This record gives sequence, C-alpha cells and structure tokens, in this order.
Amino acid sequence: MDAILTERLTKHYGEVQALVDLDLQVGMGEVFGFLGPNGAGKTTMIRTILDLVHPTSGRATVVGLDSHADAVEIRRHIGYLPSDLSMYPNLTGRDMITYFANLRGGVDKSYVDDLANRLQADLGRKVGDLSSGNRQKVGIILAFMSRPEVLIMDEPSTGLDPLMQREFQAMMREVAADGRTVFLSSHTLSEVQRVADRVGIIRRGHLVDVESVEDLRSKALRTVELHFDGPVEASVFEAVPGARDVQVSNQHVTLSFDGQMGTLLRAATQHYTLLDIHTQEADLEEIFLQYYRTE
Amino acid sequence: MLHSVFTKAVRDRLVATLVAAVSVGALTVFSMVVYRDVDVSLYQNLPPALRELMGIPDAAGVAALAYGAMYDFIGVLVFAGLAISMGASAVAGEEQDGTMGLLLSNPVSRRGIVISKSMAMVALIGLGALLLWALGVLAPRWSGVSVEGLDPGAMTLALGVNALVYGFLALAIGAATGNRGAASGVAITVMIVGYLAESLLPLTENLGWVAEIFPWHYYNSSRPLINGIDWGQLAVLIGIVVVSFVGALVGVAARDLKEKSVGVTLADRLRANRRTRKIMERIAGGARVSRISVKTMSDFQGLLVVTGMVVFYLGLIVGPLYGFVPQDLVDFFAQLPDVLIAMVGGANMATPEGFYQAEMFSITGPVAVIVLTASMGAKAIAGEEENGTMGLLLSNPVTRGHVISEKTVAMTIHALTLGVAMFLGCWLGARLGRLDISAGGLAAASTQLALLGLVFGGLALAVGAATGRPRFASTLTAAAAVVAYFVWTFLPLSERLEPWAVLSPFHFYLGGDPLRNGLVWDHIAVLAAMFLTLALVSVPLFSRRDLRG
Repeated sequence: MDAILTERLTKHYGEVQALVDLDLQVGMGEVFGFLGPNGAGKTTMIRTILDLVHPTSGRATVVGLDSHADAVEIRRHIGYLPSDLSMYPNLTGRDMITYFANLRGGVDKSYVDDLANRLQADLGRKVGDLSSGNRQKVGIILAFMSRPEVLIMDEPSTGLDPLMQREFQAMMREVAADGRTVFLSSHTLSEVQRVADRVGIIRRGHLVDVESVEDLRSKALRTVELHFDGPVEASVFEAVPGARDVQVSNQHVTLSFDGQMGTLLRAATQHYTLLDIHTQEADLEEIFLQYYRTE
Repeated sequence: MLHSVFTKAVRDRLVATLVAAVSVGALTVFSMVVYRDVDVSLYQNLPPALRELMGIPDAAGVAALAYGAMYDFIGVLVFAGLAISMGASAVAGEEQDGTMGLLLSNPVSRRGIVISKSMAMVALIGLGALLLWALGVLAPRWSGVSVEGLDPGAMTLALGVNALVYGFLALAIGAATGNRGAASGVAITVMIVGYLAESLLPLTENLGWVAEIFPWHYYNSSRPLINGIDWGQLAVLIGIVVVSFVGALVGVAARDLKEKSVGVTLADRLRANRRTRKIMERIAGGARVSRISVKTMSDFQGLLVVTGMVVFYLGLIVGPLYGFVPQDLVDFFAQLPDVLIAMVGGANMATPEGFYQAEMFSITGPVAVIVLTASMGAKAIAGEEENGTMGLLLSNPVTRGHVISEKTVAMTIHALTLGVAMFLGCWLGARLGRLDISAGGLAAASTQLALLGLVFGGLALAVGAATGRPRFASTLTAAAAVVAYFVWTFLPLSERLEPWAVLSPFHFYLGGDPLRNGLVWDHIAVLAAMFLTLALVSVPLFSRRDLRG
C-alpha cells in the first residue's frame, strides 16, 4: 500500500494552474522531500490530498483511501502541520493538545509529554504569547501525538533553532524507521538532504523529477578545484566535455563538472604540473538552483 | 501629519463608510415612500411625552418621521459605531495586532500617528455625513414629500460630530491603555447608556436632569432637525472631541507600547494561582476544550456575559421605571383604539406589557440577541477560515457537517441563555415595580426572542459557510435585520403594503403578541424551521467549496 498516491491530480484556480496532471507515489516507511520555489504548488498539493480544496480533475489516495470520499477516515491516519501555522491564541499549548486529542481520540498522554520534553516546549503559556519557534513546537506535537501513519509537514522547521532542528530531524527519521511515512515540504534544503530518502521537485504545478537523494546528487554537477605549480589558461579546461563555469585565478582553477574525471585529469596533466586536486559533490541546494535557473 | 498613515487609515474604512451612508440613505427613501401612503395626522395627536419617546418630532410630517427613524436612530448609531471601531483600532488595534512596532520602525512619531489617524477619522465621518446630507436632501425629492420646516443639514452635522465624540473617546482610551476591547467597550457603554438615559429619563417626572450627564443629551435634546443647530450644545460635543484628542496625544506618548498579545483574563489569573490552579485547570482548561461546541461557547462567553447583563439590568430597571410614567400618558393610551396601538409597535403604555414591549422586546432585546448570534454565526466557519485555524481543525477526523452542527449547538445554547437572562431581568423588574405582568408571557416572549436571534445567527452562519468571509456575513446579517425590522414596523402602516409584513421574521417574533398570549406555537414553528433550514443549507454550502487561505 502506498502512503500517498496521486493520479493526474489537477487543480485550477480560475486561470491559474496550481497543479497539472501530478502523478506521485510515496511509499510507507520513507521520508519524502517535496521541493519547489514559492508558488510552485506544494501547499496546494497538500491541501488537495487533505480535502481542504477539491481537485479540478484527477484523484489522490492516502493509505489507500480516496482523498474526497474517505476524507474523515484519512484524517485518522495522518498528522498535519500547516505552513504559516495558526492556532487559537487564547488557548495554552496544553489546551490546544487536549482539544485536538479529544477530536481525535486515542492520544497517549505520556507520549505527548515525551514529545514536549524532547522539543523543550512550554505548554503552560497561551500560544498567542509564544514566539514563532515555540508555537511551531506545539504544532509539531499536534502532528506527531497520535503516532499517525503518514505525517504531512509543510515547512515544519520555520522558527526552530539549529538544536531543535536536529532533534526534529531525528524525530522524522524515527517515524520512517518505525515503518511510517513523512511527507516533508520544505525550503530548508540541508534538512531535506539530511532526512529524506527521495525527493520530488515541482515547478509551476508540474512534477519535474522524483529521485533518491543519492541518485540526484551523483548525477549532478560536482565542484572541482585544481592547484598547479604555475599560471594556467582557462581555455584548456573549457575545452573539456562536461566542464562549466571555469574560473581561473593564477595557479588555481575552479569548475563545475559532470563529465568523466579521467578526461579532465588528462587535460590538466598534459599541459601543466598538477599539485593538488579537490572535488566536492553537489549539495541539494546547488541541484535545486540548477533546476530553477532555467526559469 | 503622515500622509501614508492617513491614506491607509482612510482606505481601511472607506467602503464601510460609503456602505453605511448609502444604506441609511436608501432606507430613508424607502421609509418615505411607505409613509407617503399613511395618514400621519394620528402622530400629531399623540401626547408630547410619547412623541418624545418615539423620536417623533412635533411637526410630524412624512419626511420628519422618516428622518427621525433613519437618521436619528439607525444612522446615528451606525456612524457612532463606525467611529468607535476606527478610534479603538487606531492605536490599541495596531498594538494588539503587532503592527505598531513595524510602523514605528519608520521615522515617524507616536504623536504623528495619532494625529494622522485622527484626521482620517474626521475625514471619513465628514464624508459619510456629507453623503447622508446629500441623500437626505434627495430622498424627499425622489419620493415627492415635503420637507418644509426641516433642517437635514443641521441634523447631519450634529450626527457627524456626535459620532466623533465616541470615536475620539475610544481613541483616547485605546491610546492610553493599548487595550482595544476596553476602548470600544467603554465608548459603546457611554453611548448606549446615554442614549437610553436620553430616551427614558425625560419620560419620568423628576429624573430628567440625569440625562444631562451624558454626551448624547447634547446631540439630541435640542432637536436639530426641527430647530436647526444649537451652537452651545454643538460646542459641548466639540469640546469633548478636543479633550479626548489631547488625552490620546498625552496617553500614547507616556507609556510603554505593548507587544502583540492576547490579553489576560480572570480565568488566566486564577489558573496561574497556586491555590486555584487545580480547580481552574478543570474548568478553564480541560472542560473548555472537551469538544467543538464547548470551546465555541467558551470563545463567546464574554459576549454572552455582556449582552446578558445588558438585557438583565435593563429589564430590572424598566419595571420600577413604569411607576414614573406620567398618569396622563397612561390614561391617554387606555383610550386609544387597538388598531392605532398596533401601528405604534404594540407600545400600549396603559399596560405594563406594552411598556415592556416598547422598552425591552421591540429594540433592546433583538439588538442584544442578534449581536450575539450574528457574530457567533459569522465566525463559526468563516472566522476560523480567516484566522487560518480551519485547516488544522479539519485535519482531524471530523466532517465539515459535524463542525457546523457543533457550532450550531453552541449558538443555540447561548441564544437560549440570553433569553433566560432577558426573562429573569424582566420578571424581577416586574416584581420590583409591583407590575401585574404574567411570568408565562415574559417567558414566551423571551423564548421567541432567542429564536429570532437564531434565525439571524443562522443567516450569518450560512453566508459565512458559503463565502468564508466573516465581515461580509455579519454586515449582510445586520443589514437584513434592519430591513426585516422596518418591514415589520413600517409596512403595516400602509394598507396596500401591510400583507407583506409577514415576510419579516419579526412578524413571527412579536406579531402574535406572546407577552399577552404566551407561546405562539405556529410562529415558533416558523422561526425554528427558518433557523434549521439555514443551518442545514450551510452544510452543502461549506462542503462543496475550497477552504480559503
């Protein structure tokens, strides 16, 4: 059974095509990163599978249940953290948790306490008086507290300090290790890179790629730095297939490269004496920028 | 003055001001057309004290009656309300919304902000009053009635300045405290108490002077529509505006500004106290959030307490006040034919029921209950959407229909509770005044009052469910309530239009005279059916559309 499955899912707002024929499959037990620039359709996709907005065409299932016909049943199986989280400002964090635990049923209080301890959340204060990071912690607890099979998180790390981000990432990995699923829509690419097994990239409502993080990184440009014993010419390196953005500074060369390393080394050593070489795999941020630079 | 602050403040309320002025003007045309069919000589035969009570000028022509009902009653309350909302949000509102810090991160002073927002309020109320004046001049031309001896210009000028009094009072309190609720609460209270004092106390033989304490006296007692501007009284009003303005300038500069906050209630303090924590955790904590209906009731308990207190205390004082009504007025009413009494809203002062109906059940009760139910209805769905909490709520295993049913239950319980407060106040007041009025009649009228409120609450719920816009829902409901009230009170005055009065829910509220006859079951059934229909249609209206935000 798939955690989330969409088939030609389409949503139009008047003239605006927010989602176009989106086919996506997310399995159980994985952390799936969902990437895209602002306005690409990430939140619309989430709101559609939660039946908060109705698709123009196509369909979606969550844990095998239809997103519209079985909307209420689906909500028993999911935890959701909206982006730009709004809560009832005059309730305390504990009141918020009690309210939603009553609506949901079957929430383990000791687990809530564990979550609050891990996130160092202050549940005694009114959420309207909390800083955005502390409010976000309450939202994370609300999403996690029923141990849902699928966690849908829209920009979850907003406002969290780096220590809390680490803790939260560990919590997401534990969910996946438990055989459950995390659907993580995020701009924090270092976070997605650290926790996600696969990523989907959406652009203007179209899903443009779905790959494992490893495959994506190995396919992508890597950065190569070369150090020589004397001045070098840029043209030598620009001629090598797969080399881009060649920058020469006296004895140093830096370039982006997705060709064969042997070809590059031959070109380098044929003309000059190579003293040192340093290569770096592209991180998700660079891959992301490559995808969108063409826009 | 800060140009951009001024412009934004004007833009924020421009539509509301225009809508208010145009609606009041349109209703004036409407009422003039209706009155044209009526022989108004009966009004001229009423005793002066009663005409005073009903706001009917001495020279009771068609135009004067319409101006009296529309401008002197609805118009003046609408414009004062508008000014209060501007004044209260000018400083305190920006603080509570957390935007004051952002505003003051620019090279502007606090005083500059107060001055700019004050100017915006003056400009908007001035514009609204000008429009009212223009429509007030055009209305008699369109409807072909005479306005001889009337001065709509003086009336609209007094109306505008009067509105500014309450607006600046709210501004000053908000600037001095940073508390928007306190600012609008105090200003509204001063206005309502002054209005009631001015309309009730002069009826009595020796309490009339008390009304002079309140600003309302200086707006209304000189009757600017008939007598033109009383510059002395206008000067008093302008004086209050100036003093409030200076108070706002001093107040805002003297204190620390607040951060975005949610305010501390008594329950919060008791919850924080070591001794009361345990019990309060149960009452204000766990129990309050046990289900959607209970949380909704808790969210509106403040409004319920305020509206409940208003009807309770007014009911309480109206009973003893009946003893102060001059005997000649009572005698006069005892001789009036029934048909005439029906035409003045059943306010037969010869009987305690008539007095209670005039003072409590015809205006005060409906306003209180509709304020409560319309705001509950408008916020039930649309409010949660606008606040962004509906998505979170619906990520739980509940249907949209379930949310609506829970909110409807909360609204029903609150409306009935307000009915109980109305009944208790009036019943105790009747005891205090030793009036012979049946408890059953009071209970029946209070029950039908709650149902009337639920009809308009249901309307607000349905509009909010269909559109997701709380302000639109509450504005539309308020407009519908005003129109329904006038359909019920005005159309019966014209023989031709009289049958149409049954279109108004008010007909099913008071039309069967529950104060005398007890529960009018067929009317109760109609009101209940209207409410249930509106609540039921809200479910598909909400379910078939996309959530906003």
